Amino acid sequence: MSASKNVDVLGETCPVPLVETRKAVRKASPGDVIEVVGNHPESKEEIPMAVDELGLELLEIKEKGDKWKIRIKIPEED
Amino acid sequence: MKDEIIYMDNAASSRLDDEVFEAMKPYMLDNYAVATSDFAYSMGVEAKEALDDAREMIVNELNGTPEEFIFTSGATESSNLALKGVAEELSEEGNHIIISEIEDFPVLNTAKALEKEGFDVTYLEVDEEGFVDLNELEESIEEDTILVSIQHGNQEIGTVQDIAKIAEVCDDHDVIYHTDATHTFGRVPIDVSEVPVDLVTVAAHPIHGPRGIGGLYIREGTSIKKQMNGGFQENNLRAGVENIPGAVGFAKAVELIDEEENKRIENLRNELMEGLMEEIPETILNGPKEKRTPQNANITFHYVEGESITLHLDMRGIAVSTGSACFSKSLEASHVIMGIGGDHERAHGSVRFTLGRFNDQEEIDEVVKATSEVIEELREISPLSKEEEE
Repeated sequence: MSASKNVDVLGETCPVPLVETRKAVRKASPGDVIEVVGNHPESKEEIPMAVDELGLELLEIKEKGDKWKIRIKIPEED
Repeated sequence: MKDEIIYMDNAASSRLDDEVFEAMKPYMLDNYAVATSDFAYSMGVEAKEALDDAREMIVNELNGTPEEFIFTSGATESSNLALKGVAEELSEEGNHIIISEIEDFPVLNTAKALEKEGFDVTYLEVDEEGFVDLNELEESIEEDTILVSIQHGNQEIGTVQDIAKIAEVCDDHDVIYHTDATHTFGRVPIDVSEVPVDLVTVAAHPIHGPRGIGGLYIREGTSIKKQMNGGFQENNLRAGVENIPGAVGFAKAVELIDEEENKRIENLRNELMEGLMEEIPETILNGPKEKRTPQNANITFHYVEGESITLHLDMRGIAVSTGSACFSKSLEASHVIMGIGGDHERAHGSVRFTLGRFNDQEEIDEVVKATSEVIEELREISPLSKEEEE
Protein backbone atom coordinates (compact mmCIF):
# COMPACT_ATOMS: atom_id res chain seq x y z
CA MET A 1 0.00 0.00 0.00
CA SER A 2 1.63 3.28 -1.08
CA ALA A 3 1.57 6.29 1.22
CA SER A 4 -0.96 9.07 0.60
CA LYS A 5 1.15 11.48 2.60
CA ASN A 6 4.86 11.56 3.48
CA VAL A 7 6.22 13.31 6.55
CA ASP A 8 9.99 13.86 6.59
CA VAL A 9 11.24 14.72 10.09
CA LEU A 10 14.85 13.63 9.65
CA GLY A 11 17.06 15.72 11.91
CA GLU A 12 14.11 16.97 13.98
CA THR A 13 13.82 16.28 17.71
CA CYS A 14 10.87 16.08 20.15
CA PRO A 15 8.24 17.35 19.89
CA VAL A 16 8.52 18.32 16.19
CA PRO A 17 8.06 14.78 14.71
CA LEU A 18 4.89 14.34 16.78
CA VAL A 19 3.59 17.80 15.83
CA GLU A 20 4.21 17.13 12.12
CA THR A 21 2.57 13.71 12.38
CA ARG A 22 -0.49 15.25 14.06
CA LYS A 23 -0.65 17.89 11.32
CA ALA A 24 -0.67 15.16 8.65
CA VAL A 25 -3.32 13.15 10.54
CA ARG A 26 -5.56 16.22 10.87
CA LYS A 27 -5.45 16.81 7.11
CA ALA A 28 -5.78 13.15 6.12
CA SER A 29 -8.92 11.46 4.81
CA PRO A 30 -10.32 8.07 5.88
CA GLY A 31 -8.26 5.27 4.34
CA ASP A 32 -5.14 7.42 3.82
CA VAL A 33 -1.72 6.03 4.70
CA ILE A 34 0.82 8.37 6.28
CA GLU A 35 4.51 7.54 6.15
CA VAL A 36 6.72 9.30 8.69
CA VAL A 37 10.51 9.15 8.30
CA GLY A 38 12.83 10.35 11.04
CA ASN A 39 15.83 9.56 13.19
CA HIS A 40 14.97 10.91 16.66
CA PRO A 41 14.90 7.79 18.90
CA GLU A 42 12.22 9.00 21.36
CA SER A 43 9.87 10.04 18.55
CA LYS A 44 9.97 6.49 17.21
CA GLU A 45 8.36 5.47 20.50
CA GLU A 46 6.11 8.49 20.91
CA ILE A 47 4.44 8.32 17.50
CA PRO A 48 3.05 4.77 18.04
CA MET A 49 1.78 5.98 21.42
CA ALA A 50 -0.11 8.77 19.61
CA VAL A 51 -1.40 6.31 16.99
CA ASP A 52 -2.96 4.31 19.80
CA GLU A 53 -4.44 7.41 21.47
CA LEU A 54 -6.01 8.54 18.21
CA GLY A 55 -7.44 5.13 17.39
CA LEU A 56 -5.42 4.83 14.17
CA GLU A 57 -3.84 1.71 12.69
CA LEU A 58 -0.10 1.20 13.01
CA LEU A 59 0.89 -0.60 9.80
CA GLU A 60 4.61 -0.97 10.41
CA ILE A 61 7.77 0.38 12.01
CA LYS A 62 10.96 -0.20 10.01
CA GLU A 63 14.45 0.63 11.18
CA LYS A 64 17.67 1.00 9.19
CA GLY A 65 20.67 2.25 11.11
CA ASP A 66 19.59 5.40 12.97
CA LYS A 67 16.69 6.01 10.62
CA TRP A 68 13.16 4.77 11.16
CA LYS A 69 9.99 4.72 9.09
CA ILE A 70 6.50 4.50 10.59
CA ARG A 71 3.42 3.82 8.46
CA ILE A 72 0.01 4.80 9.84
CA LYS A 73 -3.43 4.15 8.38
CA ILE A 74 -6.42 6.41 8.97
CA PRO A 75 -9.41 4.09 9.55
CA GLU A 76 -12.11 3.88 6.89
CA GLU A 77 -15.41 5.42 7.96
CA ASP A 78 -18.06 2.97 9.19
CA MET B 1 -8.60 14.28 17.48
CA LYS B 2 -11.59 13.54 19.69
CA ASP B 3 -14.96 15.12 18.95
CA GLU B 4 -15.72 15.80 22.61
CA ILE B 5 -13.16 17.98 24.27
CA ILE B 6 -12.41 18.33 27.95
CA TYR B 7 -11.39 21.95 27.99
CA MET B 8 -9.11 23.01 30.83
CA ASP B 9 -7.48 26.12 29.40
CA ASN B 10 -10.08 28.58 30.63
CA ALA B 11 -7.46 31.16 31.61
CA ALA B 12 -6.56 31.52 27.94
CA SER B 13 -10.15 31.74 26.73
CA SER B 14 -13.41 30.19 27.82
CA ARG B 15 -16.59 28.92 26.18
CA LEU B 16 -19.15 31.67 25.79
CA ASP B 17 -22.13 30.99 28.04
CA ASP B 18 -25.37 30.52 26.08
CA GLU B 19 -27.06 33.18 28.19
CA VAL B 20 -24.26 35.61 27.36
CA PHE B 21 -24.71 34.89 23.67
CA GLU B 22 -28.47 35.44 23.92
CA ALA B 23 -27.94 38.74 25.77
CA MET B 24 -25.57 39.95 23.06
CA LYS B 25 -27.65 38.95 20.03
CA PRO B 26 -30.16 41.83 20.07
CA TYR B 27 -27.25 44.31 20.01
CA MET B 28 -25.94 42.78 16.82
CA LEU B 29 -29.17 42.08 14.95
CA ASP B 30 -31.84 44.49 16.26
CA ASN B 31 -30.11 47.42 17.85
CA TYR B 32 -26.87 48.08 15.98
CA ALA B 33 -26.70 51.81 16.65
CA VAL B 34 -23.77 53.56 18.24
CA ALA B 35 -24.32 54.91 21.74
CA THR B 36 -25.65 58.43 21.23
CA SER B 37 -26.66 61.35 23.41
CA ASP B 38 -30.28 61.94 24.44
CA PHE B 39 -30.67 64.35 21.53
CA ALA B 40 -30.28 61.64 18.87
CA TYR B 41 -32.54 58.88 17.52
CA SER B 42 -34.12 56.37 19.92
CA MET B 43 -32.07 53.39 18.78
CA GLY B 44 -28.87 55.21 19.73
CA VAL B 45 -30.32 56.31 23.06
CA GLU B 46 -31.28 52.70 23.82
CA ALA B 47 -27.79 51.56 22.85
CA LYS B 48 -26.33 54.12 25.23
CA GLU B 49 -28.62 52.87 28.00
CA ALA B 50 -27.47 49.28 27.37
CA LEU B 51 -23.84 50.40 27.55
CA ASP B 52 -24.44 52.31 30.79
CA ASP B 53 -26.32 49.39 32.35
CA ALA B 54 -23.47 47.05 31.43
CA ARG B 55 -20.94 49.44 32.90
CA GLU B 56 -22.89 49.63 36.14
CA MET B 57 -23.21 45.85 36.45
CA ILE B 58 -19.46 45.34 35.91
CA VAL B 59 -18.21 48.13 38.16
CA ASN B 60 -20.59 46.99 40.92
CA GLU B 61 -18.54 43.79 41.06
CA LEU B 62 -15.61 46.01 42.12
CA ASN B 63 -17.82 48.23 44.29
CA GLY B 64 -16.82 51.30 42.28
CA THR B 65 -18.93 53.91 40.51
CA PRO B 66 -19.86 53.90 36.79
CA GLU B 67 -17.89 57.12 36.21
CA GLU B 68 -14.75 55.20 37.21
CA PHE B 69 -14.99 52.43 34.62
CA ILE B 70 -14.21 52.45 30.92
CA PHE B 71 -14.54 49.68 28.36
CA THR B 72 -11.55 48.60 26.29
CA SER B 73 -10.82 45.84 23.79
CA GLY B 74 -9.46 43.58 26.53
CA ALA B 75 -6.85 43.17 29.24
CA THR B 76 -3.92 44.01 26.97
CA GLU B 77 -5.35 47.38 26.04
CA SER B 78 -6.39 48.12 29.62
CA SER B 79 -2.92 47.48 31.00
CA ASN B 80 -1.28 49.40 28.14
CA LEU B 81 -3.51 52.36 28.89
CA ALA B 82 -2.86 52.11 32.63
CA LEU B 83 0.93 51.97 32.39
CA LYS B 84 1.54 54.24 29.40
CA GLY B 85 -1.25 56.61 30.38
CA VAL B 86 0.12 57.20 33.88
CA ALA B 87 3.76 57.24 32.77
CA GLU B 88 3.13 59.90 30.11
CA GLU B 89 0.89 62.01 32.31
CA LEU B 90 3.33 62.02 35.21
CA SER B 91 6.63 61.98 33.31
CA GLU B 92 7.56 65.41 34.66
CA GLU B 93 7.07 64.25 38.24
CA GLY B 94 9.14 61.10 38.00
CA ASN B 95 10.24 58.28 35.75
CA HIS B 96 10.40 55.25 38.03
CA ILE B 97 7.95 52.36 37.69
CA ILE B 98 7.79 49.17 39.76
CA ILE B 99 6.30 45.87 38.55
CA SER B 100 6.73 42.27 39.66
CA GLU B 101 8.87 39.99 37.53
CA ILE B 102 6.02 37.51 37.04
CA GLU B 103 3.48 39.91 35.51
CA ASP B 104 1.60 38.77 32.46
CA PHE B 105 2.83 40.09 29.09
CA PRO B 106 0.49 43.12 28.85
CA VAL B 107 2.16 44.65 31.92
CA LEU B 108 5.62 43.10 31.51
CA ASN B 109 6.11 44.11 27.88
CA THR B 110 4.51 47.54 28.33
CA ALA B 111 6.99 48.19 31.16
CA LYS B 112 9.83 47.03 28.89
CA ALA B 113 8.59 49.37 26.14
CA LEU B 114 8.52 52.27 28.62
CA GLU B 115 12.04 51.34 29.72
CA LYS B 116 13.21 51.77 26.12
CA GLU B 117 11.64 55.22 26.15
CA GLY B 118 13.76 56.20 29.14
CA PHE B 119 11.66 55.17 32.13
CA ASP B 120 13.45 53.37 34.92
CA VAL B 121 11.73 50.06 35.75
CA THR B 122 12.27 47.92 38.86
CA TYR B 123 11.28 44.27 38.42
CA LEU B 124 10.48 43.01 41.91
CA GLU B 125 11.51 39.45 42.64
CA VAL B 126 8.97 37.04 44.11
CA ASP B 127 9.35 34.13 46.55
CA GLU B 128 9.09 30.43 45.67
CA GLU B 129 5.28 30.63 45.69
CA GLY B 130 5.14 33.80 43.63
CA PHE B 131 4.49 36.35 46.37
CA VAL B 132 5.94 39.84 46.33
CA ASP B 133 7.71 40.92 49.54
CA LEU B 134 5.99 44.03 50.91
CA ASN B 135 9.17 45.29 52.57
CA GLU B 136 11.05 45.00 49.30
CA LEU B 137 8.26 46.86 47.58
CA GLU B 138 8.42 49.65 50.13
CA GLU B 139 12.22 49.83 49.92
CA SER B 140 12.01 50.04 46.13
CA ILE B 141 9.77 53.10 46.17
CA GLU B 142 11.83 56.21 45.53
CA GLU B 143 11.18 59.94 45.28
CA ASP B 144 10.59 59.65 41.55
CA THR B 145 8.37 56.53 41.63
CA ILE B 146 5.14 57.30 39.81
CA LEU B 147 3.53 53.90 39.39
CA VAL B 148 3.43 50.39 40.85
CA SER B 149 1.83 47.60 38.84
CA ILE B 150 1.50 44.29 40.65
CA GLN B 151 -1.05 41.77 39.51
CA HIS B 152 -3.87 40.33 41.60
CA GLY B 153 -3.82 36.68 40.43
CA ASN B 154 -1.03 35.12 38.44
CA GLN B 155 -1.88 33.83 34.95
CA GLU B 156 0.19 30.65 35.22
CA ILE B 157 0.54 29.59 38.85
CA GLY B 158 -2.52 31.30 40.33
CA THR B 159 -0.77 33.14 43.17
CA VAL B 160 -3.14 35.75 44.62
CA GLN B 161 -1.20 38.76 45.89
CA ASP B 162 -2.33 40.69 48.95
CA ILE B 163 -3.39 43.73 46.94
CA ALA B 164 -4.92 45.40 50.00
CA LYS B 165 -1.50 45.58 51.66
CA ILE B 166 0.26 46.51 48.39
CA ALA B 167 -2.28 49.30 47.84
CA GLU B 168 -1.72 50.59 51.38
CA VAL B 169 2.05 50.78 50.82
CA CYS B 170 1.49 52.67 47.57
CA ASP B 171 -1.10 54.94 49.17
CA ASP B 172 1.28 55.76 52.04
CA HIS B 173 3.85 56.90 49.49
CA ASP B 174 1.37 58.66 47.18
CA VAL B 175 2.21 56.34 44.30
CA ILE B 176 -0.44 55.22 41.82
CA TYR B 177 -1.18 51.50 42.05
CA HIS B 178 -2.42 49.44 39.09
CA THR B 179 -3.35 45.77 39.36
CA ASP B 180 -4.01 43.33 36.54
CA ALA B 181 -7.07 41.40 37.75
CA THR B 182 -7.70 39.49 34.51
CA HIS B 183 -7.47 36.13 36.26
CA THR B 184 -9.32 37.06 39.44
CA PHE B 185 -12.16 39.30 38.29
CA GLY B 186 -15.40 37.52 39.22
CA ARG B 187 -13.47 34.71 40.93
CA VAL B 188 -11.70 36.50 43.82
CA PRO B 189 -13.42 39.59 45.25
CA ILE B 190 -11.93 43.07 44.95
CA ASP B 191 -13.59 45.96 46.74
CA VAL B 192 -12.18 49.30 45.61
CA SER B 193 -14.12 51.09 48.35
CA GLU B 194 -11.96 49.21 50.87
CA VAL B 195 -8.71 48.70 48.94
CA PRO B 196 -7.03 51.93 47.75
CA VAL B 197 -6.06 50.55 44.34
CA ASP B 198 -6.20 53.21 41.60
CA LEU B 199 -6.40 51.18 38.40
CA VAL B 200 -7.75 47.68 37.83
CA THR B 201 -7.55 45.73 34.56
CA VAL B 202 -10.43 43.30 33.93
CA ALA B 203 -11.55 41.15 30.99
CA ALA B 204 -14.49 39.02 29.92
CA HIS B 205 -12.75 36.15 28.16
CA PRO B 206 -11.79 34.02 31.23
CA ILE B 207 -15.33 34.13 32.72
CA HIS B 208 -17.39 32.80 29.79
CA GLY B 209 -17.85 36.26 28.32
CA PRO B 210 -16.90 37.32 24.81
CA ARG B 211 -13.35 37.93 23.65
CA GLY B 212 -12.42 41.46 22.57
CA ILE B 213 -13.95 43.25 25.53
CA GLY B 214 -12.36 44.30 28.78
CA GLY B 215 -12.21 47.32 30.96
CA LEU B 216 -10.18 49.52 33.21
CA TYR B 217 -11.31 50.79 36.58
CA ILE B 218 -9.84 54.27 37.08
CA ARG B 219 -10.27 55.78 40.54
CA GLU B 220 -11.60 59.33 40.38
CA GLY B 221 -8.74 61.83 40.27
CA THR B 222 -6.11 59.37 38.95
CA SER B 223 -3.65 61.05 36.57
CA ILE B 224 -3.83 59.24 33.25
CA LYS B 225 -3.40 60.27 29.61
CA LYS B 226 -5.57 59.01 26.76
CA GLN B 227 -3.59 56.72 24.44
CA MET B 228 -5.88 56.25 21.45
CA ASN B 229 -6.71 59.40 19.53
CA GLY B 230 -10.12 59.84 17.94
CA GLY B 231 -13.54 60.55 19.37
CA PHE B 232 -14.56 61.41 22.90
CA GLN B 233 -15.97 58.05 23.97
CA GLU B 234 -15.46 56.43 27.37
CA ASN B 235 -14.95 59.58 29.43
CA ASN B 236 -12.67 60.85 26.66
CA LEU B 237 -10.12 58.20 27.66
CA ARG B 238 -10.65 55.59 24.97
CA ALA B 239 -11.62 56.67 21.47
CA GLY B 240 -13.52 54.40 19.11
CA VAL B 241 -17.05 53.14 18.53
CA GLU B 242 -18.10 51.26 21.65
CA ASN B 243 -18.43 47.49 21.47
CA ILE B 244 -21.97 47.36 22.82
CA PRO B 245 -22.64 43.64 22.19
CA GLY B 246 -19.34 42.93 23.92
CA ALA B 247 -20.15 45.20 26.87
CA VAL B 248 -23.61 43.64 27.28
CA GLY B 249 -22.07 40.16 27.08
CA PHE B 250 -19.38 41.08 29.60
CA ALA B 251 -22.05 42.33 32.03
CA LYS B 252 -24.09 39.14 31.58
CA ALA B 253 -20.97 37.04 32.23
CA VAL B 254 -20.41 38.94 35.48
CA GLU B 255 -24.06 38.53 36.45
CA LEU B 256 -23.86 34.75 35.97
CA ILE B 257 -20.91 34.22 38.32
CA ASP B 258 -21.64 33.66 41.98
CA GLU B 259 -19.85 32.49 45.10
CA GLU B 260 -21.39 29.03 44.82
CA GLU B 261 -19.91 28.53 41.35
CA ASN B 262 -16.49 29.70 42.51
CA LYS B 263 -16.63 27.26 45.42
CA ARG B 264 -17.66 24.42 43.10
CA ILE B 265 -14.77 25.22 40.74
CA GLU B 266 -12.34 25.43 43.65
CA ASN B 267 -13.45 22.03 44.96
CA LEU B 268 -13.01 20.46 41.53
CA ARG B 269 -9.61 22.12 41.17
CA ASN B 270 -8.54 20.77 44.59
CA GLU B 271 -9.59 17.28 43.59
CA LEU B 272 -7.68 17.60 40.33
CA MET B 273 -4.56 18.90 42.04
CA GLU B 274 -4.64 16.26 44.77
CA GLY B 275 -5.52 13.49 42.33
CA LEU B 276 -2.62 14.30 40.01
CA MET B 277 -0.11 14.65 42.81
CA GLU B 278 -1.21 11.47 44.56
CA GLU B 279 -1.35 9.36 41.41
CA ILE B 280 1.84 10.58 39.79
CA PRO B 281 5.22 10.44 41.55
CA GLU B 282 7.89 13.14 41.20
CA THR B 283 5.72 16.20 40.76
CA ILE B 284 5.96 19.77 42.03
CA LEU B 285 3.03 22.07 42.65
CA ASN B 286 3.84 25.43 41.08
CA GLY B 287 2.38 28.26 43.12
CA PRO B 288 0.87 28.21 46.59
CA LYS B 289 -1.61 25.71 48.01
CA GLU B 290 -3.65 28.44 49.65
CA LYS B 291 -4.09 32.02 48.38
CA ARG B 292 -4.49 30.70 44.86
CA THR B 293 -7.08 31.52 42.19
CA PRO B 294 -9.85 28.89 42.52
CA GLN B 295 -9.62 27.76 38.90
CA ASN B 296 -5.87 27.20 38.59
CA ALA B 297 -3.68 24.12 39.02
CA ASN B 298 -0.10 24.11 37.74
CA ILE B 299 2.11 21.07 38.17
CA THR B 300 5.56 20.13 36.95
CA PHE B 301 5.96 16.48 36.01
CA HIS B 302 9.65 15.64 36.20
CA TYR B 303 11.56 14.01 33.31
CA VAL B 304 8.96 14.85 30.65
CA GLU B 305 8.43 17.83 28.38
CA GLY B 306 5.28 19.91 28.70
CA GLU B 307 4.77 19.95 24.93
CA SER B 308 4.71 16.16 24.80
CA ILE B 309 2.21 16.04 27.64
CA THR B 310 -0.09 18.62 26.03
CA LEU B 311 0.13 16.90 22.63
CA HIS B 312 -0.71 13.45 24.03
CA LEU B 313 -3.51 14.85 26.20
CA ASP B 314 -4.86 16.62 23.12
CA MET B 315 -4.93 13.29 21.28
CA ARG B 316 -7.07 12.00 24.14
CA GLY B 317 -9.38 15.01 23.81
CA ILE B 318 -8.02 17.12 26.68
CA ALA B 319 -6.94 20.75 26.22
CA VAL B 320 -4.36 22.16 28.66
CA SER B 321 -1.32 24.41 28.35
CA THR B 322 2.33 24.33 29.39
CA GLY B 323 5.08 26.74 30.39
CA SER B 324 7.45 24.97 28.06
CA ALA B 325 9.28 27.01 25.45
CA CYS B 326 7.94 25.58 22.15
CA PHE B 327 4.34 26.00 23.32
CA SER B 328 4.88 29.69 23.94
CA LYS B 329 4.81 32.17 21.05
CA SER B 330 7.94 33.77 22.53
CA LEU B 331 9.77 30.41 22.32
CA GLU B 332 11.10 31.01 25.81
CA ALA B 333 10.51 28.96 28.96
CA SER B 334 7.92 30.40 31.35
CA HIS B 335 9.26 33.55 33.03
CA VAL B 336 6.86 32.80 35.90
CA ILE B 337 8.31 29.37 36.72
CA MET B 338 11.83 30.79 36.34
CA GLY B 339 10.75 33.74 38.54
CA ILE B 340 9.76 31.46 41.42
CA GLY B 341 13.21 29.88 41.32
CA GLY B 342 12.53 27.07 38.90
CA ASP B 343 15.03 25.89 36.33
CA HIS B 344 14.44 25.12 32.65
CA GLU B 345 13.52 21.50 33.40
CA ARG B 346 10.82 22.60 35.85
CA ALA B 347 9.43 25.13 33.38
CA HIS B 348 9.52 22.65 30.47
CA GLY B 349 7.66 20.01 32.45
CA SER B 350 4.98 22.34 33.79
CA VAL B 351 1.35 21.94 32.81
CA ARG B 352 -1.41 24.43 33.58
CA PHE B 353 -4.99 23.25 34.07
CA THR B 354 -7.55 26.08 34.38
CA LEU B 355 -11.14 25.17 35.13
CA GLY B 356 -14.40 26.89 34.31
CA ARG B 357 -18.17 26.63 34.58
CA PHE B 358 -18.48 23.70 32.20
CA ASN B 359 -16.06 21.30 33.87
CA ASP B 360 -17.49 18.54 36.07
CA GLN B 361 -16.43 15.69 38.35
CA GLU B 362 -16.40 13.15 35.54
CA GLU B 363 -13.92 15.30 33.62
CA ILE B 364 -11.66 15.66 36.65
CA ASP B 365 -11.52 11.85 37.01
CA GLU B 366 -10.84 11.46 33.29
CA VAL B 367 -8.05 14.07 33.31
CA VAL B 368 -6.33 12.50 36.34
CA LYS B 369 -6.48 9.07 34.70
CA ALA B 370 -5.34 10.23 31.25
CA THR B 371 -2.53 12.40 32.63
CA SER B 372 -1.24 9.54 34.82
CA GLU B 373 -1.15 7.20 31.81
CA VAL B 374 0.51 9.76 29.54
CA ILE B 375 3.18 10.64 32.12
CA GLU B 376 3.92 6.97 32.81
CA GLU B 377 4.32 6.16 29.12
CA LEU B 378 6.40 9.26 28.41
CA ARG B 379 8.70 8.57 31.36
CA GLU B 380 9.34 5.09 30.01
CA ILE B 381 10.84 6.60 26.86
CA SER B 382 12.26 9.79 28.38
CA PRO B 383 16.08 10.05 28.26
CA LEU B 384 15.91 12.31 31.36
CA SER B 385 14.10 9.57 33.26
CA LYS B 386 16.63 6.97 32.11
CA GLU B 387 19.54 9.22 33.14
CA GLU B 388 18.01 9.55 36.60
CA GLU B 389 17.70 5.77 36.96
CA GLU B 390 21.40 5.36 36.11
